[in-house]
Amino acid sequence: MTLGKRNKSNDYSGVKESFTLLDVFIYIFIGLAAIICLYPILNVLAISLSGYQEVLSNSVTWYPKNISFAAYKDIFRRKQIWQAMWTTISVTIYGTGTGLVLTTVAAYVLSRNNLPGRKYFSAIILFTMYFSGGIIPTFVVVKGLGLVDTLGALFIPQAVSVFNFVIMRTFFRELPESLEESAQIDGATELQVLFKIVLPLSVPIIATVGLFYAVQYWNDYFQSLIYITTDSKYTLQLRLRSFLFGQELDAQAQVSGDRGQIMTQSLKMASIMFATFPILVVYPWLQKYFVKGMMLGSVKG
Amino acid sequence: MTYKNSSAPAGIYKKTMAAKIWRYKWLYLMLAPVMLYFLVFKYAPMYGIVMAFQKYNPFKGIFKSPFVGTEVFRKVLSNHNFWISVKNTIVLNLLVLVVNFPLTIIISLMLNEIRHLRFKKLTQSVLYLPHFVSWVVVAGIARATLFTTNGGTVNMLIESLGGTPKSFLGDAGWWTVMYVIMNTWKEVGWGTIIYLAALTGIDESLYEAAYLDGATKMQRIVYITLPLIKSTVVTMLILQVSRVMSIGLDAPLLLGNDSVINVSEVIATYVYRLGIVRNDYSQATAIGLFQSVVNILILVLADRFAKLIGEEGII
Repeated sequence: MTLGKRNKSNDYSGVKESFTLLDVFIYIFIGLAAIICLYPILNVLAISLSGYQEVLSNSVTWYPKNISFAAYKDIFRRKQIWQAMWTTISVTIYGTGTGLVLTTVAAYVLSRNNLPGRKYFSAIILFTMYFSGGIIPTFVVVKGLGLVDTLGALFIPQAVSVFNFVIMRTFFRELPESLEESAQIDGATELQVLFKIVLPLSVPIIATVGLFYAVQYWNDYFQSLIYITTDSKYTLQLRLRSFLFGQELDAQAQVSGDRGQIMTQSLKMASIMFATFPILVVYPWLQKYFVKGMMLGSVKG
Repeated sequence: MTYKNSSAPAGIYKKTMAAKIWRYKWLYLMLAPVMLYFLVFKYAPMYGIVMAFQKYNPFKGIFKSPFVGTEVFRKVLSNHNFWISVKNTIVLNLLVLVVNFPLTIIISLMLNEIRHLRFKKLTQSVLYLPHFVSWVVVAGIARATLFTTNGGTVNMLIESLGGTPKSFLGDAGWWTVMYVIMNTWKEVGWGTIIYLAALTGIDESLYEAAYLDGATKMQRIVYITLPLIKSTVVTMLILQVSRVMSIGLDAPLLLGNDSVINVSEVIATYVYRLGIVRNDYSQATAIGLFQSVVNILILVLADRFAKLIGEEGII
């Protein structure tokens, strides 16, 4: 055992272990799983960038053949999808902002051990995870507030996620209480403690929860489906659905077919990439945070 | 704690409850908007459940619509379509659970064994990615390229192996398989993060001691790693079993089509069609209530069971 304490590396303390048959199997299995996860996305990208003949003959696999940007040029020309993009960007910003502020405040306040009544407030929040009025009663409330067919309906009724609240509260509980106490003895107010001490220490969990909210709003389909009725207010996912499963693109492709020959298939795939691109761009940047945030927030949760 | 750092006039309220509350007034003030949100958007709808016992009339509203007792429930429970949606919800959820649950654990254990850090990080990034793709996109991939009858990736593969193309989207049996596959693709990788989080706390010296005692890799997985994640496994199982009656609307609605409606209609899509499309608020509310009550019953049962086998439980 003393031998092992020398270094804290991830392999068992410098003991050279042979590469067994089991390892070979594990590497192949995990490698295959990764390929299966990635292939459909590469396939979509490849079809969106391939030439007419290649798409027509179904010969495109994971890389583009006879590269053509025609499908993207066609998609970029459509006002509808930019409108939808703008709606979704707005909802994502409002929703993530509101969600982060409310969740952080609730999690911080209810992580304070000596706050009278904190158990009751927590219970009120947690109970909604197990029991809810359901889709229609919620719809009636939203309708009563005059929010139907407005952007507000897309984020206000689901502003705080209980799951995000729980992982954030777990994180705050793990912070040493003495930090806050000493700051208060130095005369700092509650708000100063939150902004100057707690928040700077909480970057991973804020990034994690922020990412969860942003993805929830970006990918939202259900809320838009039930609350948005006007075509010009469609979110990106609603617009994408009508492109993918409606007849809109079929008719358009025949027209553009005369001009530059684009397959409907390429247009569909290009619109998928258009709607998913922002996520693919921020994903690698945020990944280090959310892995850390999930680890810290869920260990005891 | 001394009253020096309390912002209240300590001499007057000292040690009383009111003083304590006054001391934390800013915290309560900060909490107020959050509680207001839950009151308006989570608790007010609970009152709306009375619609399930009314003959709801949109012009009269919740407060004036006439009460009809359990008539709405009897109507719902005697409807064949309702029971089909219940059956489909349970079947689809259980199939996804049976495939995803063990697979998630197996992949977590495998990832935990990988010592090649760059390979591990890279594969983890790729495995988490599908979780961040929307259901509209996943359905688009499934219906427009992956499982299409004519020229779909899977059918091309089948043809190149000498088989005949299958109608994955139009056939009820194949549709169910496709539904499970797309769920597996989207969520299994992401599911590993919770087990890997539980595994980061493991003391490396345990493995080392086992190695020095001559334990094989398989023995270490079975006798060290598995027992260490056992409580996480039980918690996740309870959570997922207790959700057997809840299902998102996105996947079944977007993947489904008219020819497979007998297997793709689930409670969420049924409530959507009944409540939002056909404006029958009373019936849709009753179904929602039925679902919530069953969920709570299963949750309590699963929790009791966990405590019975000596685990912590979740309530």
